[in-house]
Amino acid sequence: MAVPIDLKQDAPQGRASPAESGRAHERLIIGGGTLIALLLLWEGFARSGLIDPLFISSPTRVAQTGWGLLQDSDFWNDLGVSGTEFLFGYGMAVAVAIPLGLAIGLSRRLQYMLSPFVDTLNAVPRVTLLPLIVIWSGIGIWSKVVVVFLGAVIPILINTQSGVKACEARFIQVARSFSASRFKIFSSIILPGTVPFVFTGLKYGAGRALLGVVVGELYASTAGIGHMIAAAGNTLQTDVVFFGVLIFMLAGLVTVALLDRCEQQFERWRPDVH
Amino acid sequence: MCTERNVYLRHERAIRGTVMVLLFLVAWEGLARGWWADALRPLLGEPAERLQLKPIFISSPTLVAASAFRMFFVTGEIWRDLAWSSLGYGLGLALAIAIGIPLGLAAGWYRRFAYAIDPILSALNATPQVAFLPLIVVWVGTGLSARVLIIVLLAVLPIAINARAAVRTTDPRLIRVAASFGARDWRLFLTIILPSAVPFLLAALRIAIGRGMIGVVVGEVYGSAAGIGAMINQAGSRFQTDKVFVGVLTILAAGMILVEIVQRIERRVEAWRPQVEV
Repeated sequence: MAVPIDLKQDAPQGRASPAESGRAHERLIIGGGTLIALLLLWEGFARSGLIDPLFISSPTRVAQTGWGLLQDSDFWNDLGVSGTEFLFGYGMAVAVAIPLGLAIGLSRRLQYMLSPFVDTLNAVPRVTLLPLIVIWSGIGIWSKVVVVFLGAVIPILINTQSGVKACEARFIQVARSFSASRFKIFSSIILPGTVPFVFTGLKYGAGRALLGVVVGELYASTAGIGHMIAAAGNTLQTDVVFFGVLIFMLAGLVTVALLDRCEQQFERWRPDVH
Repeated sequence: MCTERNVYLRHERAIRGTVMVLLFLVAWEGLARGWWADALRPLLGEPAERLQLKPIFISSPTLVAASAFRMFFVTGEIWRDLAWSSLGYGLGLALAIAIGIPLGLAAGWYRRFAYAIDPILSALNATPQVAFLPLIVVWVGTGLSARVLIIVLLAVLPIAINARAAVRTTDPRLIRVAASFGARDWRLFLTIILPSAVPFLLAALRIAIGRGMIGVVVGEVYGSAAGIGAMINQAGSRFQTDKVFVGVLTILAAGMILVEIVQRIERRVEAWRPQVEV
């Protein structure tokens, strides 16, 4: 199931000792160095003509093309279309998945009734449904919204549900024995307990949503960054393709960073365990 | 006296699940055959027509079943697609494992190597990897190698990242004990790190199976001659919705079988571990 992928696990936290800050520098130098070396290597291959730049482009070409695209209104239109698809689909997924996940987590019977559907949808890559979705809602923006929604809704739902299930039973027993109302138990024990799970689901869902945008637009579309990439690939404009991939990469990184921020805000009340 | 109730309670999960699935299938069949439109016409009049949808849009459970029977057993056309897709899928997954596990283990073991590849791994992980597909097509064409490459790209990251995490979470006490008895690196690796990494690697494999399935479908969007994904796409553009459903269900079944196999292996591999009673 959703495994939160966290590469920053050994980043120094809090007050860093000299050794730790040395490590942080080392991390930065080695990481940055490798990246720069790779970019130089790429540029070198393209400039020396060992590999035709038509196929692999080069960092400077990508940068130039990118700069040009940023001044192009078509590009901003594409970006707007893709962004709308992502925000609509993801927003709907969040609005449906969190309440439904809480309900399924709280009610065993509801879980019995809905789990066959959730499990089935979880086991099949939702992009396989794309041809059907295109038949149902055309090649415009809505087919992408539906794919994004379907991609994101399942991981958020499943994580929210398991967040409720993972709730500390002792806390609920204590609250019950102090005769807390069901609403009080829900709002002060269950809901805060699910936050980390929900955010794991949200991050995973964001990845799925972006995937939906790309695949949906590669498959059938009239505008969007994925459309731009596909069209550029067909005409061998590798610079444009690389710039589009870069946009998607940035979108992924920014979304995850924003969600991390939000999670920290929500988790501020937690006592520090260090 | 209460036995009926007990039977219900014992099988509540199965009963409720089955009832919901049956209801869903009946509702679907009814939409396609116009049962609901016919039943509600006296009540609603004209608007009831909306409850009948054309089978070419939504197909129906019986149409899908008939179509599946025909494709699997009468014409047998799906076997060729299945074989073609499996070839790409198998190669892609095998390559992803062959690259991902050593890469992840090395990144977990050598701190500096991890520093070097972490930025690249996290950037690739944040990108929807299918965006690379047009590039891959430019580089290697639309044949088998394009599909294998996109599957590798999709499946390799969870494997590498989990392998890296597996080494990181190895019990340091075990390593220290072994090291103080003079064990060499490769011996540490074989007897401590690898066995404790196995659950992580199998979990990664389960994720990779699902990711790879995306690759099968997406990789065949671009003019593949055969394969389940190509079959789905062609059927979709000809409004053969029942065939699309058969393809989706085939992929679903294949994914479930593969995950089940991995879970079996997980249980077998974990059998040596002493059960810890908390």
